[in-house]
Amino acid sequence: RLESYRNNNMASQGLEYDGCNFFRQRLVLSSLSGKRVRIRNIRSKDDSPGVRDFEASFIRLLDKVTNGSRIEINQTGTVLFYQPGLLNGGSVEHDCNTQRSVGYYLEALLMLAPFMKTPLKATLRGVTNDPIDPTVDMLKTTALPLMKKFGIDGEGFDLKVVKRGMAPGGGGEVFFSCPVRRTIKPVQLTDPGKIKRIRGVAYSVRVSPQMANRLVDSARGVLNQFIPDIYIHTDHMKGAHSGKSPGFGLTLVAETLNGSFLSAEMSSTPQGQGDPSLPEDLGRNCAMLLLEEVYRGGCVDSSNQSLALLLMTLGQQDVSKVLLGPLSPYTIEFLRHIRDFFQIMFKLDVQKPSEDERKGGEKVLMTCVGVGYSNINKTLK
Amino acid sequence: MDGKVKEQKRHQQKQSGPQAERKKLKKQGGSREEDARKRNPKAFAVQSAVRMAKTFHRSQDIKMKKHHIPLVDRTPLEPPPIVIVVVGPPKVGKSTLIRCLIKNFARQKLGDICGPVTIISGKKRRLTFMECSNDINTMIDLAKVADLVLMLIDASFGFEMETFEFLNICQVHGFPRIMGVLTHLDSFKDNKALRKTKKNLKHRFWTEVYQGAKLFYLSGMVYGEYQAQEVKNLGRFISVMKFRPLVWQTSHPYVLVDRMEDLTDPDRLRTDPKCDRTVSLYGYLRGTYLKNKGQVHIPGVGDFQVGDVNFLPDPCALPAAQKKRALNEKERMLYAPMAGVGGVVYDKDAVYIDLPASHVDQQQDEVRPNTELVQSLIDTHATLDEKMAASKVSLFSGSATLEPAEEGGLGEKCVWDPTTQRKRRKVVFTGEEEEEEEEDGSGSSDDEDGDSEDSDQEQDDDEENLSTYLKEARAGCDETEKTVADAPPVKRPKLDVGKGESAEVPVFADSEDDLEMSEEEEEESGEEGEAGRAGDSGHCSEEEESEDCKEESEGELEGTGEAADATMEEQTASKSMEEEEEEEGGKYTLLGRSISPRVPIASSYKFSCLSTVGLRWKEGLRQKASDAFLRQQQAVPNLRKLVYGSVVQADDSEDEEQELGGLFRVSRPQTSKKYQANAVDSSRFHPDTSHQWDQEEMLNSIRDCFVTGKWDESQDAATLLKEDEELYGDFEDLETGEVHKNPTGKQNRHEETVVKVDDDELQKNKRLEKKQRLKERFNSEYDGGDATYFDDLKEELQKQAELNRAEFDGVDDETRVQYEGFRPGMYVRLEIPSLPCEFVTNFDPHYPIILGGLSSAEGNVGYLQMRLKKHRWYNRILKTRDPLILSLGWRRFQTIPLYHIEDHNGRHRLLKYTPQHMHCGASIWGETRSHKMDCALIQANFRIAATGVILDLDKSVTVVKKLKLIGYPYKIFKNTSFIKGMFNTVLEVAKFEGASVRTVSGVRGMIKKALSTPEGAFRASFEDRLLMSDVVFLRSWFPVSVPQLYNPVTSLLLPVGQKDSWAGMRTLGQLKHDLGIRYMPNVDSLYKPVVRTKRQFNRLHIPKELQKALPFKSKPKLQQPKGKTPRDLQRPSVIREPHEKKVAALLHALSTVHNFKRKKAHQVQHAKHKQFLQQKGKQEEAKLKRQKESRKKLYRVMGQEDKRKQRSSLKGASKDD
Repeated sequence: RLESYRNNNMASQGLEYDGCNFFRQRLVLSSLSGKRVRIRNIRSKDDSPGVRDFEASFIRLLDKVTNGSRIEINQTGTVLFYQPGLLNGGSVEHDCNTQRSVGYYLEALLMLAPFMKTPLKATLRGVTNDPIDPTVDMLKTTALPLMKKFGIDGEGFDLKVVKRGMAPGGGGEVFFSCPVRRTIKPVQLTDPGKIKRIRGVAYSVRVSPQMANRLVDSARGVLNQFIPDIYIHTDHMKGAHSGKSPGFGLTLVAETLNGSFLSAEMSSTPQGQGDPSLPEDLGRNCAMLLLEEVYRGGCVDSSNQSLALLLMTLGQQDVSKVLLGPLSPYTIEFLRHIRDFFQIMFKLDVQKPSEDERKGGEKVLMTCVGVGYSNINKTLK
Repeated sequence: MDGKVKEQKRHQQKQSGPQAERKKLKKQGGSREEDARKRNPKAFAVQSAVRMAKTFHRSQDIKMKKHHIPLVDRTPLEPPPIVIVVVGPPKVGKSTLIRCLIKNFARQKLGDICGPVTIISGKKRRLTFMECSNDINTMIDLAKVADLVLMLIDASFGFEMETFEFLNICQVHGFPRIMGVLTHLDSFKDNKALRKTKKNLKHRFWTEVYQGAKLFYLSGMVYGEYQAQEVKNLGRFISVMKFRPLVWQTSHPYVLVDRMEDLTDPDRLRTDPKCDRTVSLYGYLRGTYLKNKGQVHIPGVGDFQVGDVNFLPDPCALPAAQKKRALNEKERMLYAPMAGVGGVVYDKDAVYIDLPASHVDQQQDEVRPNTELVQSLIDTHATLDEKMAASKVSLFSGSATLEPAEEGGLGEKCVWDPTTQRKRRKVVFTGEEEEEEEEDGSGSSDDEDGDSEDSDQEQDDDEENLSTYLKEARAGCDETEKTVADAPPVKRPKLDVGKGESAEVPVFADSEDDLEMSEEEEEESGEEGEAGRAGDSGHCSEEEESEDCKEESEGELEGTGEAADATMEEQTASKSMEEEEEEEGGKYTLLGRSISPRVPIASSYKFSCLSTVGLRWKEGLRQKASDAFLRQQQAVPNLRKLVYGSVVQADDSEDEEQELGGLFRVSRPQTSKKYQANAVDSSRFHPDTSHQWDQEEMLNSIRDCFVTGKWDESQDAATLLKEDEELYGDFEDLETGEVHKNPTGKQNRHEETVVKVDDDELQKNKRLEKKQRLKERFNSEYDGGDATYFDDLKEELQKQAELNRAEFDGVDDETRVQYEGFRPGMYVRLEIPSLPCEFVTNFDPHYPIILGGLSSAEGNVGYLQMRLKKHRWYNRILKTRDPLILSLGWRRFQTIPLYHIEDHNGRHRLLKYTPQHMHCGASIWGETRSHKMDCALIQANFRIAATGVILDLDKSVTVVKKLKLIGYPYKIFKNTSFIKGMFNTVLEVAKFEGASVRTVSGVRGMIKKALSTPEGAFRASFEDRLLMSDVVFLRSWFPVSVPQLYNPVTSLLLPVGQKDSWAGMRTLGQLKHDLGIRYMPNVDSLYKPVVRTKRQFNRLHIPKELQKALPFKSKPKLQQPKGKTPRDLQRPSVIREPHEKKVAALLHALSTVHNFKRKKAHQVQHAKHKQFLQQKGKQEEAKLKRQKESRKKLYRVMGQEDKRKQRSSLKGASKDD
């Protein structure tokens, strides 16, 4: 009798979810919290049920960076069971499925990397830029400086685009390395400050290099009415570095005085999917997206909200504050998941803009007390 | 600490004696030293730069050593009571000391010290005393939670092993404050011996704890108690003591349980006495924030999921702030439910009143407790009312678990029988059977409903009737009256709706107005869409579209299916719920509940809007920008509900399911989420399509986000410049007396007059601001110079601490708990659903129950690597694979370690035994947790076998042991040989191709290729030719697997009185001993005395030829030196016959004569010869003389001849001339 107590009480109970949405969130949080997770009804009503190739690829990546994790998928692929192991890190090479871009995988790695046993050095191959996920360029310009604010910094914190590969062919390569941290600093990012400059990258592969210049011109046309300090690189990659599909795109980043970054981006529609896009339209739309992002405001841009919230959650047992723009649906679900996995609730204070203020829409001040997470994987010598 | 504060003894300055003289000298000589520096500066000059650097470094080192790593101060404003653990070997006076201290602080006598006793020691401090028995398990558990340890030492005996064991346990689990207390000092008759003993003990204690650790002396007993003055002094020491936070304690929430209630359904108990128990545990939360529904570990029991946590009003609250210094009698509270003292106890759902007379020992003071009871009743009257109001709710919507009649935490004095409830009840009231009336009284006072105002009047029977009535009405359960009657009337808490209630309240608090509003809306429209908007709009900037979106999309939604279905279900569900509640006659309207189910729909609705009809609304929405603001305002409080609403609701549904007794199961959350469950998983936040960024007003709305936009008044460059000018613009030239005025200032003043006196306030503020800024600037300049990294860090952490305090200050507890978790200092009640029944049946309050909170990853198991050292007092070395009990984190568990040592190349080589005096590594299978000191134990003379520290955790291990494979050559070519016997199959060989092999004689080689026959043979090439007698071996490393044994020490589940007899897996030695198995060694492995035969060497043979050539020195000396003839060579002496004798005599005589004659002849001959020689000499001489004469003559003639010849030659020449 006592034997049974020993066994069933050892591991914490798992969590159950339905559907494949927020797949990454669940697996990432599970890996960090050590709680088992079971996801049921993955596209069970779909014509092609079960996990897709890109999800399988994600699971494989997760398997590579962990040690001792148990993953079970049923026959039809509609039920996934994940028992996390230790986050191991080290050198990892992964061929990402081209259905989703590298950003899909990289977002999860960004969340996991600081908590590995050994510093992560990941080489990811696949699609670097596509319209669905945040591209590598955007993560490089926004997520990395954000993580630096949480004390994840130092040598070997790097994200490099070695080769650029557009959807659908892929063929890009990204190198990501991140040092490990034992604890995460609490942050108080309550004032984003004013935007002092706008930077960007206009990239083009396997198309005329002129495309990039056209992108730049049209984007500047919109942004110049706000600030003169705009510099957009043109990045045209050739030959082996240009991947397998043609395409172009633009990433814009607005940097504020207090060192927060807001970004927007747009990529051309993948070859053979929908109408081809004009660089002028794309540049202008992207600039407007940046304005939208500025309107939303906050210290963290909309696609990195969940990363910031995660790092706040995993901080010391101190109060952290971050001012965000309106919460994205992804972030809202992330908050719920954080509550499931870490029993942390955020205090949400809505800051309405006053009448005469011209600083965009309302903001949300997120406040939480960290769980006091310490990276137990790290070796002590 | 008591009423009359004695005046402190004044300091008396010494007038004479060495101390006074020294002081005097110092006073005079202070300046003299300074003079010396001036008088003789050379003597103080720098002699050596190196030495100076060294001294500087040293002084800096010493300075830095004093620094502690600064920590964020997270101590709560109202800290939990300080845990004082009283330890010591048996019969040293632990209980007596606690009793005396309690008497000192609380003016109460306590009989048996059972469980923690909490008292109020001062205005700001509470203490919890806990006695630590001699059991090692108890020692370990209490060392982890202790703030202060009172270590009792029997001075008449000296230190005992227990003391050192406890000290060593403390050392590895973070060192709490330790204060030694010497007792039994009265047994010394001799004063000198006493002093000597004190000194010895003190110094030994200091080496163990730290130099100058406090050691207290309790000189003797008076009427079975320690002397009042000494106890008072000890109390003072305790109440002013300061504590440094320990890392483990500050990073984990924990509760030292001081009360335990069994909530299990009595019906289940009757049918299955061994069923899992639902138990609620009470205590002050310590350490850090505790999250609801987390994992806890109860040392000695196991890991459990907490069902529910509530905080209760503090049963031993600190007195409210008053000006006077001392506590009055009313405030001297004592709280020890396990010892039967606690007065009135308010629970979440019930009120317990103890009549201590029935529970406490007879020796206890009869009057006190009664007054205490009354007083506490008076004190807490107001809260009682509140409770009453709250408990009304519980009355009507109570769950099916209302019934559990409970055995209270007071039955600890008796070993109770779990089989029948009647018996248990009896046990609780053992002493009271004679006093029926009192029993009744106590029964009724434990009023279940919390209507405690009339509880005193209520009779037992009435109450029972009421409760059964309630039960029937509420749940319709088939509870018989009998069970109710059987239930012990002492304590009858029950579960109420509670869970839901506590979760619900913040929802109310947060969004009252809004909720009501949305409710109204809902009623009038009758659609979820409305509620959806209400829930949604706070969340993001889509709100503009949502309203319009709603109207249009309704049809679509309903038409299209899933979402609509979901919402319909939702509605019906919520309706049914409301009906339920109405049936129950619940008093409250359950606003939160009726609303919250709709929240997910809200979000779902929004998403569908986004995806389906969002585009269509692009153009229609622009003009509504002005409305947006209004709606935003409405929406504000709903954001929280939008995000967390669904979760709260999930809780609700659980509660309601529980309430309904499993009749209705509503699967709302799933259905409501279904539409988005399989959507695309992307973090992109698609832009709000309503914003048209080519419109000027839209562009204007973000102008100020850029540096080119308008700045705040405080930050604007122009105003800042102006202020700077104000600061520095005005000055007065002192030489000329001219006063320069700032022109802008003038302007300002001018304006001021224009704007009139209203601006005075403004100006005042401005001035204040200016002052502040100036001060800051001064501070930064003043301190900036020597601010070190340490100072900066400290300041930063200080700021963080202030922020932590300020953030949730003033928020009401219910809400605060949701954000922070339960904060330390709160009195909490934790409900644990499935505890083993032994925990309750074998409950012994003398053993501490600790609830240690586990952080998220601490529940998993894996391999741990640790650095370990055998304890220097453990008189054996530890054997690999012998089970050990480890205390790690909160846990105590048995596991099987493998010891290993790290080689130079980082390889972990297995060791059979731990080294004697050296660290070694150990790999174990256990729960993985953060790096923390731990200690390993084993039962023996000194019970701590080893101590260690966790280095690393992993899911795999890398311990290897050496394996030598041996083979023999069977065919030898030049440098190539065929080796057999090392492997069995070709496959095995293939695996080792290229591996290096070696012979015993040191010839190195390499495995080349497998041979087909014989199986397992291979070709190997060597650096030299082998011999057939050579043995070839291959050195390899074989990975060892760590046995996966994790066996928690469940000592608390053992029967009372046998709690220290937990037996786990036995070691190999114990097993062999127990089973009588003798060790049968391999005969070849035995050591035998070494016998060496003398070696015989052949003689050295030198060839004859060589011998000849050798010099004599080196030649073999073959002749024996002449010595005594050995006996074997001696001839026997000859004995002659008489005749022979005669013959021999004659012969002898004859020979003598002959010899004489010969001798004589010889002499003559000799003389003759001499003469002859003389003559011959003479002749010779003459001959020589003659020869000489003749030669002389000859030479003279020859000379003349020559002369002549010469002369003639000369003549001849002259002749020629």
